[in-house]
Amino acid sequence: MDSKLSAKRPANGKRPPVPVKIVIAGGFGVGKTTTVSAISEIRPLTTEAAITSVAAEIDRTGQVPAKVSTTVALDFGCITIDDDLKLYLFGTPGQDRFGFMWRDLSHGALGAMVIVDARRIDDCYPAVDYFERMELPFVVAVNLFDGEMVHDLKDLRWALAINDDTPLITFDARERLSVRDALIELLKHALQRATA
Amino acid sequence: MLDDDEPSPSPSEMRPYLTAYGGGLDRPESGGEPVSRLRPYLLTSGRAEPVDETLEIEAQVMTTDAGTLAALRLPFEHRDIVRLCVVSMSVAEVAARLRLHIGVARVLVADLADLGYLYVERPSLPNSQNPNLIERVIRGLEAIR
Repeated sequence: MDSKLSAKRPANGKRPPVPVKIVIAGGFGVGKTTTVSAISEIRPLTTEAAITSVAAEIDRTGQVPAKVSTTVALDFGCITIDDDLKLYLFGTPGQDRFGFMWRDLSHGALGAMVIVDARRIDDCYPAVDYFERMELPFVVAVNLFDGEMVHDLKDLRWALAINDDTPLITFDARERLSVRDALIELLKHALQRATA
Repeated sequence: MLDDDEPSPSPSEMRPYLTAYGGGLDRPESGGEPVSRLRPYLLTSGRAEPVDETLEIEAQVMTTDAGTLAALRLPFEHRDIVRLCVVSMSVAEVAARLRLHIGVARVLVADLADLGYLYVERPSLPNSQNPNLIERVIRGLEAIR
């Protein structure tokens, strides 16, 4: 993509790595930040992002949804893949009214990992709906807080009503290698979609 | 982001808030008000959209020779960005490290890039569906122990 932003060379003549990204989504408190922390080579950073969204409360007199601007925290980390490639993980706040930010974050993403707390699976519906609609490859990853599944995966898949080809996996957000494997699972799914 | 688009000025025009500080009129190094007390978008003259409104928050930013030379003449945030990005980092990292609102960071980075002070490496979008690229990322992750 050529644009005026890319016109000048960097000071030392070496081009920065090409960035790629994965979106980490899910409801509040499901372990998005823990997941990013477990594998990021930098301590996850937080920045504030403004989102404009349709307010939950509809103005009843006019029946027109009011627009509101909210500031939300955005956590992210990164992994150096090789000299020329850097992977970013962006953890998004998990409610459907944050849809505007998801659009920005999903644009150009390799895929998304939707983290689920098996004790309250409703929280992940907005994310699942969104990525299905965007046709972004995603996996649903159940965070095993206590190392135990409350339901078996078959029941969970039924409850989530996700497609048969959408991977449903379990992982532990605190374990680096477990997070790594979950991301690999996502990318293999993305690869399958890309080569299909 | 906010909906009220304003037409982008032509790239050759100096941004109004930059001219306000132009000609090397440096602000005193100390004794100034901490910038964090300003309403965030005061830094960008109220604009919420970058010059290039498509600038991705994962785009990589790196200071150019011109940026290094200009650093001393630039006002606070701009100078901080140019000094920070001698090592390449994403727009999101610039925001986090300088404690800027991410929307503000996008505007400032795009303006500095427009002036030739920053080099920006953007994600190449068809890439996200490129099997070779995805395989490279998988291999990179597999190397993590």
